[in-house]
Amino acid sequence: MVKKRSDVYSVEIYGTKDLQKTEIEDEDEKHKDLKGNKKNKKTEELKKELDLDDHKLSVSDLEKKYGTSIDKGLSSARAAEVLARDGPNALTPPKATPEIVKFLKQMVGGFSILLWIGAVFSWISFAIQLVQKAESPFDNLYLGVVLALVVILTGIFAYYQEAKSTNIMASFSKMIPQQALVIRDAEKKELPADQLVVGDIVEIKGGDRIPADIRLISAQGCKVDNSSLTGESEPQPRSCDFTHENPLETRNIAFYSTTCVEGTATGIVINTGDRTIIGRIASLASGVGNEKTPIAIEIEHFVFLVAGVAVSVGVLFFIISVSMRYPILDSIIFLIGIIVANVPEGLLATVTVSLSLTAKRMAKKNCLVKNLEAVETLGSTSVICSDKTGTLTQNRMTVAHLWFDNQIYSADTSEDQTTQPFDQTSPSWTALSKIVTLCNRAEFRPGQENLPIMKRVVVGDASETALLKFSEVILGDVMDIRARNKKVAEIPFNSTNKFQLSIHETDDPSDKRFLLVMKGAPERILERCSTIMINGKEEPLDSEKAEAFQTAYMELGGMGERVLGFCHLYLPEKEFPDTYQFDTDSMNFPTSNLCFVGLLSMIDPPRSTVPDAVSKCRSAGIKVIMVTGDHPITAKAIAKSVGIISATSETVEDIAKRLNIPVEQVNRREATAAVVNGMELKDMNSEQLDEVLCNHSEIVFARTSPQQKLIIVEGCQRQGAVVAVTGDGVNDSPALKKADIGIAMGIAGSDAAKNAADMVLLDDNFASIVTGVEEGRLIFDNLKKTIAYTLTKNIAELCPFLIYIIASIPMPIGTITILFIDLGTDIIPSVALAYEKAESDIMNRRPRNKRKDRLVNEQLAVYSYLQIGIMQSVGAFVTYFTVYAEQGFLPSTLLGVRVNWESNVINDFEDSYGQQWTKYQRTYLQWTGYTAFFVSITIQQVADLIIRKTRRNSIFRQGLFRNKVIWVGIFSQIGIALILTYGLGHVTALNFTPLR
Amino acid sequence: MATLNEKKTCSERMENFRRFVWNPETKLFMGRSLINWVWISLYYLAFYVVMTGLFALSIYSLMRTINPYEPDYQDQLKSPGVTLRPDVYGDRGLQIYYNVSDNKTWDGLVTTLHTFLTAYTPSAQHLNINCTNNTYFIQDTFDGPNKTKLSCKFTSDMLQNCSGITDPTFGFPEGKPCFIIKMNRIVKFFPGNGTAPRVNCTYVVRGEESHTLEVDYYPVNGTFNLHYFPYYGKKAQPSYSNPLVAVKFLNITRNTELKIVCKIIGAGITFDNVHDPYEGKVEFKLKIED
Repeated sequence: MVKKRSDVYSVEIYGTKDLQKTEIEDEDEKHKDLKGNKKNKKTEELKKELDLDDHKLSVSDLEKKYGTSIDKGLSSARAAEVLARDGPNALTPPKATPEIVKFLKQMVGGFSILLWIGAVFSWISFAIQLVQKAESPFDNLYLGVVLALVVILTGIFAYYQEAKSTNIMASFSKMIPQQALVIRDAEKKELPADQLVVGDIVEIKGGDRIPADIRLISAQGCKVDNSSLTGESEPQPRSCDFTHENPLETRNIAFYSTTCVEGTATGIVINTGDRTIIGRIASLASGVGNEKTPIAIEIEHFVFLVAGVAVSVGVLFFIISVSMRYPILDSIIFLIGIIVANVPEGLLATVTVSLSLTAKRMAKKNCLVKNLEAVETLGSTSVICSDKTGTLTQNRMTVAHLWFDNQIYSADTSEDQTTQPFDQTSPSWTALSKIVTLCNRAEFRPGQENLPIMKRVVVGDASETALLKFSEVILGDVMDIRARNKKVAEIPFNSTNKFQLSIHETDDPSDKRFLLVMKGAPERILERCSTIMINGKEEPLDSEKAEAFQTAYMELGGMGERVLGFCHLYLPEKEFPDTYQFDTDSMNFPTSNLCFVGLLSMIDPPRSTVPDAVSKCRSAGIKVIMVTGDHPITAKAIAKSVGIISATSETVEDIAKRLNIPVEQVNRREATAAVVNGMELKDMNSEQLDEVLCNHSEIVFARTSPQQKLIIVEGCQRQGAVVAVTGDGVNDSPALKKADIGIAMGIAGSDAAKNAADMVLLDDNFASIVTGVEEGRLIFDNLKKTIAYTLTKNIAELCPFLIYIIASIPMPIGTITILFIDLGTDIIPSVALAYEKAESDIMNRRPRNKRKDRLVNEQLAVYSYLQIGIMQSVGAFVTYFTVYAEQGFLPSTLLGVRVNWESNVINDFEDSYGQQWTKYQRTYLQWTGYTAFFVSITIQQVADLIIRKTRRNSIFRQGLFRNKVIWVGIFSQIGIALILTYGLGHVTALNFTPLR
Repeated sequence: MATLNEKKTCSERMENFRRFVWNPETKLFMGRSLINWVWISLYYLAFYVVMTGLFALSIYSLMRTINPYEPDYQDQLKSPGVTLRPDVYGDRGLQIYYNVSDNKTWDGLVTTLHTFLTAYTPSAQHLNINCTNNTYFIQDTFDGPNKTKLSCKFTSDMLQNCSGITDPTFGFPEGKPCFIIKMNRIVKFFPGNGTAPRVNCTYVVRGEESHTLEVDYYPVNGTFNLHYFPYYGKKAQPSYSNPLVAVKFLNITRNTELKIVCKIIGAGITFDNVHDPYEGKVEFKLKIED
């Protein structure tokens, strides 16, 4: 299980107030969803266990129930006992397939079966020959052993590769053990969170992750972020009061894996590990089995094709050879030869290596692939349903615009800002900056002075964090400023007031006045103001100025930004002397007739790499759909700024506004973009959703619940799209599972999401997905090249057998020699093709249609088999005939000689020159023929490798030397061939001979 | 990850296949229109014609560059093979078993020898010349008719007692059988380095121990006369016939299986190739029963 890291950014708080209501409804819906989708029995269990009554019990009842004490906690002995009973407080990872099963799967998968059959046939014929006391039965034994070895070795190799990639994931999972502050034996102790047991008293504070399901017994201003559980992005207040019958709704329970945003609390652990709410949901989600990936289907298709060809050609020639009165045993050996010639033994290993190379490359680019085959799936993606927060955006509120002195200024929203470019000379700005700095409760966590400001962790909500960082960037040490302007009173923000207020001493020793600063919802702030500051001077707030304020407010709001108003008041020294006691409850100070200073608007700005990535997707024919829980206006603004909605396209509403007609009259087909509200989505049936998905190329789903994501994914899949979905919450898991490729966020993602996903984005960045798509397409292209390369020589290996049977010439190539090509010389070059760089059009063509663009299609097979393969065979046969001719057997003498040639009783076999050969001399010549044939195929494979480097580009455009690995491949190929022919030429079992 | 496979029923598959073979809507036969098929067939026809042409051209130029008189390389034929007549093969090489009192068991062997020697009758050898020099018969020019070279005559009467003329049963009924040893031809091979190679037969008891046998060799000493060498190839010496040596075993123990090895002794002839039992020597098992 992945432990959530302490956030680099402060926890995000989003959305508008009424969101909460709909989310609660959604939550109910979600439970229905879960119940509907999953197996009944499990659901029953879930339901039963949800009948939690701990939230209703009083503290003393709880103490009794769990045998604990609030002050002293559990005794260590008791805790150990419970730990032994319940097991550690960690989620059980999804049940892993036993290693041996995985291993055996590798042994029998793909072509292995065919080769096993070949091996068994060889052994059978060995046994028969042994019984018949034939001349050299051991050849078949060796062949069988070699075939079995090949299967076992490739099996081990594939298993090793898979294990290695699984290990990457596993090591990633074991990051950072979580600690919890526990009271045991009346002492506070830091314990690893997995040591927690039911009845433990734990203390949590802002920023902590809740270590287990906890019934709160005391809380101070505690808020939790339940988004990983329910998808609600608004932090939920938590107290020790029982507020709701439903344990999920009540305020006095905090759930495992959610985060405490602020405040502190103490509670009793009531559930641990898999018995926690999240554990139950996670186990439900992991119950959905992984289905086959596109590349797995492709490879299966390919194996099926090749095996089909191998078996049918084999059987056909078996029948032919039997009817040509070859002995059955010989026919079986031909059959083995044909199968071996047809099966690309090394290919599956090559594919695995290529995929894991790509996976490694992607991991470097922050895409962690859990499932090797997902690499390619990403490449065939045609729709990406992306989250907004954190994926498209930076996941932190940032001040985007300011309004003071009747003017809107833009602020820098990039990721690594160090200065702000706008005009800071106005005295109004000085006043505004003071309010921004002082009227703010957020603080930096201590001890991060060396970090860039933007990376520092802040305790406080998102808006305050934004303001804090903003002022830190401009003014420098905010904490120091606050210390110099001592705070004497404060009213925190609450939803009835909708403002936040604080009263400070000033840092000017001569100025004994108190400064009252206030921020809040702009309209509320304006209500309390009678003057407005223009260029440092207070001017009366007349209707004209109020109008200007309204315009600015509307403009900023229209950009989807969250706007805050700021005002201040210097309290007269006479009425409020030094010693004045401010009372925030009775508000014995003025809160109206203040001086309005300015507006600040904040947005979660898009990541700077995203617009480029979106346009890349667009040119690659991938539709990017934004799915967010945010307000439509914000969603649309972000969509526009990253290019998901392009500058020229309009939604139905835009057209209506432009033409000044009601929305209903607009022709929906004219609008290329659409912003669909979650509420509308709820009322749509699937046909209507299909229509939306079909008619609009640019779609934003706003205010959607994570459950609706599933509906959207299914909608896209109905259109035949390969859908990639990003998600981070627990309740995204069904959508992640449903998607063709689920992408979980590495930073913000919950454990359950990461488990359900096929890929984890380590930097949560949308641009990384696009890199992934590119890699995925590249690997598909390169696999095509590899397969084409590998298939080609199959014909050159197969033809000898066919011609041998039909024309009765001496055998041109031996089965073992074929294995040396397939597993010796050809392996490294075919892996080298995986290093081939992308061709120029890779991101400019449409995603492949999974039903039509197969990995191995008709063209590839025909081109490899019937064109290049035939050319290779012709070349190899020319070599064969040349070798025989130069040794004395002219082509004409070779035809039809098989029976005499192979006869053991003819030791004076005459060649074209009248020379006479013994059996062994002929056999040795035959091996020379094998070697020549082998070398010929190897050399032609070098040429084949070079032509396979490109599919669309010309070889010069692609560059002969850009892929250095290809040359390594070529040299290794030649090197291996040289070693085999000259180094091992005297080992008779290998059937190689040194060539002149 | 979601599945991409929809389960299809068998009938659907059949329907799909039928649609693939002939789609009445698009008029496509196996995924192509008829004209398309014609074009693609023409393309492949042309392609294969060109490939065949290339292949033929390569073979043609190969044949043009090949020397018709002698092979380019002889690295695979360094030492001549040796064969035995009569040649009866059992499970493990040559096995000649017969019963002196049962003429059915040796009739076949005698016939084989007679058949073999028909190539050495004077009429079969009439094109060859009589040679008397005991040196290599080196011919740098084509002295024979039709641009050929001359070959020396070897007639069966040179085998004297084993010629089948004086004793048509080759001594089989007496238990003193004749065997004929033939050395394989190799173009331009000079065996013996000036001294005539000779046959030496021994019998082997358990492994390497070789014991001399009481044998008569024909021609005398069991030599292959040097004037039969070198061989200039089929085209230059169409009527060439291999010289022979006959071995008559005079005292074979009855009713026991003897492993006999006949080696050809001479420089340039090796008989120690472990893989090849017929290179420079011939091994056979002989068992004569009463």
